[in-house]
Amino acid sequence: MKENAASRVLFILLLFLYASLLNGQSPPEKPKLIKCRSPGKETFTCWWEPGADGGLPTNYTLTYHKEGETLIHECPDYKTGGPNSCYFSKKYTSIWKMYVITVGAINQMGISSSDPLYVDVTYIVEPEPPMNLTLELKHPEDRKPYLWIKWSPPTLTDVKSGWFSIQYEIRLKPEKATDWETHFAPKLTQLKIFNLYPGQKYLVQIRCKPDHGYWSEWSPESSIQIPNDFPVKDTSMWIFVGVLSAVICLIMVWAVALKGYSMVTCILPPVPGPKIKGFDIHLLEKGKSEELLRALESQDFLPTSDCEDLLMEFIEVDDSEDQHLMPHPSKEHMEQGVKPMHLDPDTDSGRGSCDSPSLLSEKCDEPQAYPSKFHIPEGPEKLENPETNLTCLQAPQSTNREGKIPYFLANGPKSSTWPFPQPPSLYSPRYSYHNIADVCELALGMAGTTATLLDQTDQHAFTPSKTIETGGEGKAAKQRESEAYSSEPDQDMAWPLLQDKTPLFSAKPLEYVEIHKVSQDGVLALFPKQNEKVDAPETSKEYSKVSRVTDSNILVLIPDLQAQNLTLLEESAKKAPPALP
Amino acid sequence: MSNLLLCQGNFCTFLCPHGDDLCLNSLKDLFNRATNLSQDIYNLSSKMFKEFDKRYAQGKGYITMALNSCHTSSLPTPEDKEQAQQTHHEVLMSLILGLLRSWNDPLYHLVTEVRGMKGVPDAILSRAIEIEEENKRLLEGMEMIFGQVIPGAKETEPYPVWSGLPSLQTKDEEARHSAFYNLLHCLRRDSSKIDTYLKLLNCRIIYNNNC
Repeated sequence: MKENAASRVLFILLLFLYASLLNGQSPPEKPKLIKCRSPGKETFTCWWEPGADGGLPTNYTLTYHKEGETLIHECPDYKTGGPNSCYFSKKYTSIWKMYVITVGAINQMGISSSDPLYVDVTYIVEPEPPMNLTLELKHPEDRKPYLWIKWSPPTLTDVKSGWFSIQYEIRLKPEKATDWETHFAPKLTQLKIFNLYPGQKYLVQIRCKPDHGYWSEWSPESSIQIPNDFPVKDTSMWIFVGVLSAVICLIMVWAVALKGYSMVTCILPPVPGPKIKGFDIHLLEKGKSEELLRALESQDFLPTSDCEDLLMEFIEVDDSEDQHLMPHPSKEHMEQGVKPMHLDPDTDSGRGSCDSPSLLSEKCDEPQAYPSKFHIPEGPEKLENPETNLTCLQAPQSTNREGKIPYFLANGPKSSTWPFPQPPSLYSPRYSYHNIADVCELALGMAGTTATLLDQTDQHAFTPSKTIETGGEGKAAKQRESEAYSSEPDQDMAWPLLQDKTPLFSAKPLEYVEIHKVSQDGVLALFPKQNEKVDAPETSKEYSKVSRVTDSNILVLIPDLQAQNLTLLEESAKKAPPALP
Repeated sequence: MSNLLLCQGNFCTFLCPHGDDLCLNSLKDLFNRATNLSQDIYNLSSKMFKEFDKRYAQGKGYITMALNSCHTSSLPTPEDKEQAQQTHHEVLMSLILGLLRSWNDPLYHLVTEVRGMKGVPDAILSRAIEIEEENKRLLEGMEMIFGQVIPGAKETEPYPVWSGLPSLQTKDEEARHSAFYNLLHCLRRDSSKIDTYLKLLNCRIIYNNNC
């Protein structure tokens, strides 16, 4: 009997189950927690998504427990947040604490629960959009017109106490446009917009974001109509720009006009003058230059190989020709082998050296060589300074012996003072070249060398002998390249030498070319020599016209055309060597 | 304002009692810089945590282990707005200082150990280095603020000591990653606390609750 009852119950149950299955009823599916959000970091709401309810009315319950607690609580408020939500009020909200939340679904058939959601209110903050968005067109006088946008923080956010910090973002566009123009407003609750198009209707939206959290939704659109007569631009700005450009143009024109000359000179640079440090202007003025020059000439300072070629090049010049320098032979010319020396043996001197070819090779661009002072550096150390290279300009020989001579001045007592040699007039045309060239050489070789050069009075430096040619070259080269001259003890010699030289040049004082100016690259611009009597050993200055400046900083002077000077120079030259120590 | 009156309930104190602008401006400036630093530290730690989570913690359930794992949980920090507003500014500042100090050591080791992790993205390492640096600077700034707001106070409160180094160095990679996850999770939370407290203090002291 009992067995019968048991089986019957079982049968009924099975029947019931079968019937329910036929009806499609089942336990509910697992619900799923979607998200939780806090509008102001003081409360929060969670929403879930129910699964299939299994055909039966299903109840959902949300349970949670906090980090560090074991007690499980149920959702305090299912209503406020809407369906399938749970609202946690201030009382139930803790910040910086993890909530472990689970939603359970229960129906007649069974129970299921969702996966737990771990929530920390700090990181789920999403505020409401800002409120009270107002738009106002402002047009103050003397200022640009603008659109003044104002708003207030969203609800439920406590900004005043600092608990909640917000940033704002505004976007606007003309009604018909497709792209929004966005502006960022970090803290203030107002914004001014300039440069709006008149006659358009603008739409404005705003949203906000907490310092830790998500952006809010965009607020509803606000619109404003810009009137047609709304001035868009501030014309004063354009006036200012126009005036500024006009001023700039005027300044440029004025600068060009003023500096036109210097610009021209930039393009066509003037003939540079020689620049020698260490020369004493007074010595030169005294007319001792000749002696010094001769002494210099007699030294073993021959130019480099280039100078050798230059020397030879120089020698080839026929001074009976016109006053202009021969066209500048190419550098290759100079570098080629030894050229035949056309110069008279006795007029050829070491001084001709490097400078001479330059005389021939380059045209004298600047007819005027202004007097100026340049200093030959003192001491041997100065030898190393290429900057102080003297640029010698010597005019090509001409019948007029009133050539201009570069005018070297020494710095002080220690420096070798190089009175310039006789103007070319004292020498044969070529010889005068030599003289000047030598002087230039010496100057180029710097003060330090001068004394030694003087010391090393080389007989053939002054004697226009053929030996000078070869010797001179070598010496010039030596002079150019040697940096080991000790000038100090020897410089004093220069003076006596110079003294000695004066009688030799009694016929004519040493003539100088006044240096007009020294250019940046150490090139001296010389005054052209004024034609004077060559014979009289006057203290009047005679100048050589500067023909041009060679590449190797050599002044090329226009030779003096007076033959007498040449003769005088020759004599002096002959006498000079013996006088040299 | 010529005087900065700081009231807590019925108890008021004068900040910058001589009313000189230099004092007020310097305090304002100090707070400004401190809040900028704290905001930056929070941003960095938040990004660092997200990066690590994405890279090493997906589907691992490290979060369950991270509950109650912060070494600073012993500090009695306020946990909602009301509690924070009722906390005296002196206490708040001490808490901030305690938090900053207690993170000096873990940050140092974090940088060292992150470097040693193979395949660690540069985003994590570079942020760790920057946070460590900025934490030091913020600590200095806070000490200055503390000295100015509460002159003469000694703030030698003990701070919680971190002892999680062994777990960062364990050979078991899962355990190691879990330890890193914990540390980064706690760092993010504590930097948020510091940032919020500072902003509260800023508005309370400098702007008289009218930010």
